[in-house]
Amino acid sequence: MTRPSENIRDWLEATSGIVGVLLLVQVATGVLLAFYYVPSVDHAHTTVSYIEKVVSSGAWLRSLHHYGSQWLSLFVFLHAIRLFLTRAYVANKVQWIVGILLLGLVMAAGGTGYSLPWDARAFFSTRIAEGLMAGLPFVGPMARLWLLGGSDISTITLSRLSALHVLVIPACVGAVVVWRLFRANVAEILVPRHAIAGGVVFLLLALWCLKYRAPLGPSVAAMPIDYVPRPGAQFLWLYQSLKFLPGGLGSVAGVVLPGIVLTILVLLPWLKRQRLIAGTILGVMGVLVVAMTTASYLSDRNDPQTARQLAIQAAHEDAWRRESFTPAPITLATAMAMSVETGSAPGGQPNMYIKFCAECHGLNGEGGQLGRLRFPPLIDVSTKPRRTSDDIVGLLKDPEAYGLQPPMRSFSNRLTEEQMKEIGEWIVTLKK
Amino acid sequence: MDHEPSRRSFLKLVPLGILAGVFASIGGAAFRFLRPKLSAATDSWLDVAPVAELTGPQPLSRKIAAEQIAGWAINIEEHNVFVLPAKDHQVLSPVCPHEGCEVAWDQGSNRFACPCHESFFAADGARISGPAPRGLDRLPMRVQNGKLQVQYVTKEQATQA
Repeated sequence: MTRPSENIRDWLEATSGIVGVLLLVQVATGVLLAFYYVPSVDHAHTTVSYIEKVVSSGAWLRSLHHYGSQWLSLFVFLHAIRLFLTRAYVANKVQWIVGILLLGLVMAAGGTGYSLPWDARAFFSTRIAEGLMAGLPFVGPMARLWLLGGSDISTITLSRLSALHVLVIPACVGAVVVWRLFRANVAEILVPRHAIAGGVVFLLLALWCLKYRAPLGPSVAAMPIDYVPRPGAQFLWLYQSLKFLPGGLGSVAGVVLPGIVLTILVLLPWLKRQRLIAGTILGVMGVLVVAMTTASYLSDRNDPQTARQLAIQAAHEDAWRRESFTPAPITLATAMAMSVETGSAPGGQPNMYIKFCAECHGLNGEGGQLGRLRFPPLIDVSTKPRRTSDDIVGLLKDPEAYGLQPPMRSFSNRLTEEQMKEIGEWIVTLKK
Repeated sequence: MDHEPSRRSFLKLVPLGILAGVFASIGGAAFRFLRPKLSAATDSWLDVAPVAELTGPQPLSRKIAAEQIAGWAINIEEHNVFVLPAKDHQVLSPVCPHEGCEVAWDQGSNRFACPCHESFFAADGARISGPAPRGLDRLPMRVQNGKLQVQYVTKEQATQA
């Protein structure tokens, strides 16, 4: 018989099993996503949409990769804490160093991975990475250029982040894990308790991903100006901290400080006062992450305007999910050959009405509802004041001038004058 | 007793079983995920040129453009075809039925030559010599409003037909 306290200790050690299983899931799902994903600014969002909407099991596998990275961040941090509690920095130095390096690498993988779908969130994530680099002391401007691969964010930036995410970081993770495994024997790795813990966490993750889809915002090209981006759960602490930190201090908090902290922790086995140093660092990190993450959730929930905008974005994403996937022209020549964007469908609706308006206002202008948002019917709208076909063209350009609120937005950068006229002239014909 | 042999060897299988379960669930999804998507058969007629412009004793090389949907992408694929004005405007695929290289018309020797493995074809597409199993494939053609139109058929489709 083992004493209960030893039992708890044994189960605490199972964090390595959880981290191991989650790492394997990230590699497996990442490899699969690479079979369709194209790291280029004009195709990234299309290929990710294709994975989400068309490819069998695509949404589940992408969800596993997305939420798996967040769960992995959590468990790799818990793993570091349990290594601290079991004094691994004395008992098993390699295990300690590997655990800390994995913490850094997992966060780096998450940071680079957020840019890859090239949706609105990805764009802001890249912008913030750019800002964090630019604000670094001494090397800032140079670090920024090296991250971007040029003087501004471009398709080269996406290629760089993609290469880091799918080649460089996984290679580092692999090297670190292999180093650890070579120092262990098989019985030490295949511990039933570790495997059971890993299996249970995977099962929960798999079920979670059946219910929740990985988010995908509008593509950068179609991004509304009022878009409010939010990072993934593992970066909320940084996002919330940046609200309080001006300019270069953000780079210190987001890059310099984590770098110093990880370096100290890696070197811990050779330092004095180990328990005090590591205890303080991990304790402050834990409190900071929990407090900042909670604060960011609360501030989003308590600010009505932000809560409303986030609800609108969620409704847009729902609507986008229900649209069927349209293949994208692969070259400019194809795009130009296909750009016959006027004309109408058999039901009389202009093609552009079907593309941009029907999702909310109904295929025949009957109006609609999405969650708590209601969209007014367009039938008989011409009987109201300021709703002639010319007015509708003006309204499509500047809804606010006609007293309309979001989610109605301006289409001036998406429709030509002729297309708007076509839509306006059709809408005024709608009668009961 | 905590350490009897049969229980210990059973316990060793638990981790392997769980790992196998994780990989089986992802593996099943992976199979569906990677399964190739066949593009819908297109039987659309593609314009070659007005018949009046296709004259003379020699095979004429013309380009046709076909819209191709591959997964997320739409691409306009250009294919070469050979029109035989002397043979009722029959249209030949330039794809050698051997390994699929594109043949060229050699005016000097009055025959088609495959650049890859030295198959030769007569001016009407019939096989003369070389490893090709048959002559050049004929594409379905018609004349609509004075325009020659064809359907593009790949080597694999022609082999099955």
